[in-house]
Amino acid sequence: MRPVYLHGSAVSTTWRDASRSLTDLIFECVRTALGTAGISAADVGATVLAAHDLVDGRGLTSMVTAPAAATYLKDETRLGDDGALAFVLGDARVRSGSVDTCLVAAWGRASEGPIDEIAHALFDPFTARPLALTEIAVSGMRAARCLGDFPGYGRWRGAAAARRGVRPADPSRVPATAWPLRAGELPVWADVVAAVVLGSQPGPVRVGGVGMSTEPYELGDRDLTGLTALRTASAQALTDAGVDAASIDVLELDGLTLFDEALAAEAVGAAARGDGMSLLANSPRVNAGGGSAAGYCAPAMGLVRVARAAERLRNATTSQVGLATGASVVAAQVQAAVVLEGA
Amino acid sequence: MGESAAGKVPPLTIDGHWAFDYTYYAGDAASRFFAELANRRIMGTRCPQCLRVLVPARGFCDACFVETTDWVQVSPHGTLETFTILTTSFPGLPEPPLVVGYVMLAGASSAVLNFVDGIDLTDPDAAGTAMLGRPPVTARFKDVCEGRITDFVFTLDEPA
Repeated sequence: MRPVYLHGSAVSTTWRDASRSLTDLIFECVRTALGTAGISAADVGATVLAAHDLVDGRGLTSMVTAPAAATYLKDETRLGDDGALAFVLGDARVRSGSVDTCLVAAWGRASEGPIDEIAHALFDPFTARPLALTEIAVSGMRAARCLGDFPGYGRWRGAAAARRGVRPADPSRVPATAWPLRAGELPVWADVVAAVVLGSQPGPVRVGGVGMSTEPYELGDRDLTGLTALRTASAQALTDAGVDAASIDVLELDGLTLFDEALAAEAVGAAARGDGMSLLANSPRVNAGGGSAAGYCAPAMGLVRVARAAERLRNATTSQVGLATGASVVAAQVQAAVVLEGA
Repeated sequence: MGESAAGKVPPLTIDGHWAFDYTYYAGDAASRFFAELANRRIMGTRCPQCLRVLVPARGFCDACFVETTDWVQVSPHGTLETFTILTTSFPGLPEPPLVVGYVMLAGASSAVLNFVDGIDLTDPDAAGTAMLGRPPVTARFKDVCEGRITDFVFTLDEPA
């Protein structure tokens, strides 16, 4: 297996920019990522794309949107899943030697569709939709269990929310809440595109390890606060990289709400059980840019976290190690983890 | 001389609406589960390998990847493992605020989702905080059951 390097990345976060179509947003972000890698579209050997038909409001959305992601006459893989999983597949393409350069892109434009209704439509029509379940509702249930079981969650939630920065005043950018979640703990909807360029030639950031794992669909079968799939995926990525969680300098953890991010910190081993919210409140290592409050739309967010981790590693004055994670719908059923190593 | 590609015109937007009708097939196991709800019985299926009783009943255990075998009636009494208070309104569903939660019924190995009725939500914080300690609940069936998940709701048990 060959080593894989991250050569360039870009993230675009906007809201209701009527001067740009979805394909405009994808094109601009992908072109920026290619530019940071110092290559052109002609140099791309393969592409892996993550997009959701429901979010995009387009049946088989990648047929419409893929040309904006430099896929013209290219080897293209399309995923209806989180962008971090697309990254893992892109890594495999380069690592296996089937291509030398792979472009990974993911996007979601929250301003075009009814996000709450989309989040409701994702659930089972027999057992969950009649009960008004949404992604935020599942996060609310996770939060309730945390508050019931771990005193640190109640103690530190205010301080952790305060670190997320100033929130937009536009009420359409914040979902209807689900108790016990508070406004400052919710995501801020955004139109998000992320793109990353991977290659076999040495670059500024090396991919140290990757992992993926899937939990049961049935939420009643899951450990809602244990995030078993993320524990498995991150353990695989850390083992691949030969590092332990304690040695991670940069953490970019995907979660729909503040509570999901705190639980992710525990699942990857960065915090002990029950201490995830304390870590978010006190450690600059985690989600330095504000996490889901800096702009959120599935399925782009895992790739956003990878790109943000790579940026932080490139900007570091010393050689550091980062861990980025991505969670898919429904309710973080599928998780991916990526270990990145700065030069 | 060609025109600029970036000529300024008012941005165009159009409305879109998806309204497709689907027919979902529940399959044998779920069909029986819902038929038993109409009989006011909550049923699970047992995995022959891990011996978990899966509720709602289903045809296979995804962990062991084998077909489930025995049908088991579980108790209407259980523990409210977690819950949330919903504030989102959806067409055709009860108006919020609504309490929905996962309950581990006695005899089951997986929790089942349903509404928790009878909660005074005048003060959501007080109501929610009072339920954080996994209180006991009981499934209460409606007067007329239709073989749907909404045939029953959970209610908090009275303190002993």
